[in-house]
Amino acid sequence: MSDVVAAAAEQSAPKSTRAGRDVGRRILRSPLAMLGLVGTLLVLAAAVLAPWLSPHDPTSQNLAHILAPPIWAEGGTAEHLLGTDGLGRDVASRLLHGARNSLFVAVAAMLIGSGLGLVTGLVAGFFGGRVEALIMRLGDVQLAFPFILLAIAILGVVADRSALHLILVLGIPGWIIYARVVRSRVLAEREKEYVQAARAVGAGSWRRLFRYVFPSVWQVVPVIALLDVGFLIIMESTLAFLGLGLPPPSPTWGGILAEGRRNMVVSPWLPVLPGLAILVTVLSINLFGDGLAAVIDPRLRRGGMRRILPPSLTAASWHDPGTAARDESSPAWPVATGEGAPLLQVRDLRIDFPATESTVHAVRGIDFDLRRGETLGVVGESGSGKSVTATAILQLLDPPGRVSTGQILLDGEDLARASNRRMAQLRGRQLGMIFQNPAASLNPVLTIGYQMREALRQVTGCTRKEAAERSHRALLDVGIPDPARVARQYPFELSGGMNQRVMIAMALAASPRVLLADEPTTALDTTTQAQILRRLVDLTEEHEISLVLITHDIAVVAEYADTVMVLYAGEVCEYGPVRQVVDDPRHPYTRALLESVPRVETADERLVPIPGDLPDPRAQRTGCPFAARCPEVMDVCREVKPPRFDIGGRHDAACHLWAPDRVAGSKP
Amino acid sequence: MTGRVLVTRLGHMVLVVLAVMTIAFFVLRLATGDPARLVNPPGTPENIIAQTRAQIGTDRSLPVQYLTYLGDAVRGDLGTSFRGAQSVGRTVMAALPNTLSLAGLAILFSAAIALVLGALAAWRPGGLFDRLVLGYAALAQATAPFWLAVMLILVFSLRLRMFPAIDMSSWRSFVLPVTTLVVALSPVLTRTARQSFLETLNEPYIKAARARGLPNWRVFAVHGVKSASMPIITLIGLQLGFLLAGAVVVEAIFNWPGIGKLILDSLASRDFPMIQGGILVAAVVFVVMNFVVDLLYTLLDPRVRAGQT
Ligand code: SF4
Repeated sequence: MSDVVAAAAEQSAPKSTRAGRDVGRRILRSPLAMLGLVGTLLVLAAAVLAPWLSPHDPTSQNLAHILAPPIWAEGGTAEHLLGTDGLGRDVASRLLHGARNSLFVAVAAMLIGSGLGLVTGLVAGFFGGRVEALIMRLGDVQLAFPFILLAIAILGVVADRSALHLILVLGIPGWIIYARVVRSRVLAEREKEYVQAARAVGAGSWRRLFRYVFPSVWQVVPVIALLDVGFLIIMESTLAFLGLGLPPPSPTWGGILAEGRRNMVVSPWLPVLPGLAILVTVLSINLFGDGLAAVIDPRLRRGGMRRILPPSLTAASWHDPGTAARDESSPAWPVATGEGAPLLQVRDLRIDFPATESTVHAVRGIDFDLRRGETLGVVGESGSGKSVTATAILQLLDPPGRVSTGQILLDGEDLARASNRRMAQLRGRQLGMIFQNPAASLNPVLTIGYQMREALRQVTGCTRKEAAERSHRALLDVGIPDPARVARQYPFELSGGMNQRVMIAMALAASPRVLLADEPTTALDTTTQAQILRRLVDLTEEHEISLVLITHDIAVVAEYADTVMVLYAGEVCEYGPVRQVVDDPRHPYTRALLESVPRVETADERLVPIPGDLPDPRAQRTGCPFAARCPEVMDVCREVKPPRFDIGGRHDAACHLWAPDRVAGSKP
Repeated sequence: MTGRVLVTRLGHMVLVVLAVMTIAFFVLRLATGDPARLVNPPGTPENIIAQTRAQIGTDRSLPVQYLTYLGDAVRGDLGTSFRGAQSVGRTVMAALPNTLSLAGLAILFSAAIALVLGALAAWRPGGLFDRLVLGYAALAQATAPFWLAVMLILVFSLRLRMFPAIDMSSWRSFVLPVTTLVVALSPVLTRTARQSFLETLNEPYIKAARARGLPNWRVFAVHGVKSASMPIITLIGLQLGFLLAGAVVVEAIFNWPGIGKLILDSLASRDFPMIQGGILVAAVVFVVMNFVVDLLYTLLDPRVRAGQT
């Protein structure tokens, strides 16, 4: 059982040793952990004080007074609170001494196991190489070993069994759990050392290593040790129950139970009580241990299916300050209705990621249209809100992200207010999405064909055979030469380019009306990129799909899009027909983007970064978001948020340079 | 799994079994006195004891005994019991199916329970059901299996007379022992299942599957379960030792004629060949089950199947 704990602990390396300081405080705040702590301390106190607390000698027999009932049963006396056993011994005293014995054996065994593990783990981690391989191999062998049977055999035949035998047999096998954790911690610290010093660990570093390793080891080992003690108590009791524990007449919980079992028809409480004692003890220890683990690594409690469903935007959760906060100066984006209305109209969309300390305002009131059959390029650096906008349209924001205000109108239907069920109907059929990382977006343990057919059948309700044929065609369409083979393959068996094609084929197979492609060609070489993008754009035209092409690369937009929207820090900078924007950029940020595109084909295809940082996404903002980096910044920029000034011909730019009065003034 | 991996793996299994045999052999001989003396009642004349010694072969030196034991075992002869002349091999093989059926049922039921409870708990972490499941896991983990067995007998056999407490007779005999083992095995499995569900749900491919228009239940039931069952399978492999211990206890309590009970009974009478035979067979079962677990894992995870990690 402790292997799981160890594995969890191994993964959950606490990031800083500072975390240790408020462990105590957080334990106090967790009621279950507190309960566990109190229970553990009580049992510990009972064990330590057993000789003084016990009303009777646990071994003194009184054959005249056997099987006395406990005080609450008929005939019970205060003399023997919990009654007497088959030999007339006081059960309460025996249970108290049982706690003492059980805890003693379990804790001693834990100390032996953890001590061995600590030493071997440190040795393995520090020396590495053969020593490490040998130690870890030994651990593997031991885990592949039915050790428990040998333990039983040893204890069963050993000449005169003593507590020492028991402790050794129970304790030694535990070493591997500790050794693994300690080793992985040492390795992690060494890794950091290497990175920092960029050289082999020298003699002076050893001491530093110890300084860093021990704090992180001390965070994990107590948790494992606690859960280990719980497990060992059960094992010790089990052995005692089988008659292989401490030699009689030492009272043990397992022994009391075994003896009580013989009389259980007459005195059912005899076997019940020791089991309850074990239950309470182990439960307390485990609760405390779990509490400690949760405090050390709170990540373990996150997530869940319900959590990834967005909270439905009911009237209560729908606050509407957005309309009030909205710039009166941009009524340029009224909702269009009727025949010629754009397919997708996004109005004053705001997306927040609320956190306890402060909320991240990822998207701050953007408006745009997507016309039927149009390809809209959305450009921006990471953090501009471009991916978040796309996920919000599908209502697939990662928690705790939510659309706080605004409308996402697909053919007049507001997706921001659509129910989960409605969204599930729209996804795939009306809205398709291609995610950034194709390999991660495909389930690694299901074949390509299965995943395509599954989605197709769900979306179109077609038969298995039709789905197979349609996916076959879709794969051919994106330029996969032998779809039959690819359909039988798993994502990891395909190259990045192939997976990307598969993702595109999947999204297109169901013929959605809007396709959102989020960086569909990152991590591919230029040639493949161009091929795939061309294919994607051609196919969307062929199938009359409106495409939203999200990218950080304005060159891509210039080549494939009809319309472009430039985003910066969650706001729209410039929007307009692609030729107009590219040939005559108005916003300084758009200009910077265009200038940063490498002119010559260099080995490094990435953009030349614009100096400066994005503004804090949590901060309230006044003025232009680009002010800090803008070469043409003016005083007004820092105080007044620039509205989207119309340039003419569906082209607008959110920049004070293009304020009508200014433009009129400079051009008499 | 490629041929070479398979051969290495088989070699590894043989080594583990050999190690178990060796350790069992020497531990038994070094830990106790003279079995010939122990087999006979106290006060038996020395010449009779010497006779017994010659009969059971303990008059020879330890290395000779060990090599004879190994040699015989390779030929499939596990020797004869110290008491009476039963063939160890036959006795052990008769007990084996009883243990296997018990353990097999326990694994099946606890894995199923773990997957179902883990999935339902992960649906809404922190919700009522999640807290119930975690509560069950915490309680079950703190319950000593032998105590639970005795309680089950107390309630269901002695009071309600629903299920028999001892011996194997019909399917009813399986209910209480299997329940005991399931309660012992399921908490860790359940918690792991819940955890891996939670982790899986954060994977990008879950989001992508939903973007494709799959309803949540399907994403959960197909994509979630398939991915989340992997850690469960690994864990079952790691829990086999614990299961073995549980089986010994359960067999002792329910008087179940399996390997565990055989070993326990033989311990009391210092019947070394029988103990060794029982441990050997248990070790073989253990490594074979580990192997099966790995195979299953390989079957379920195409990445492992292709030899990648
Ligand atoms: S509004 Fe001012 S700071 Fe912002 S882009 Fe225009 S000139 Fe630069």
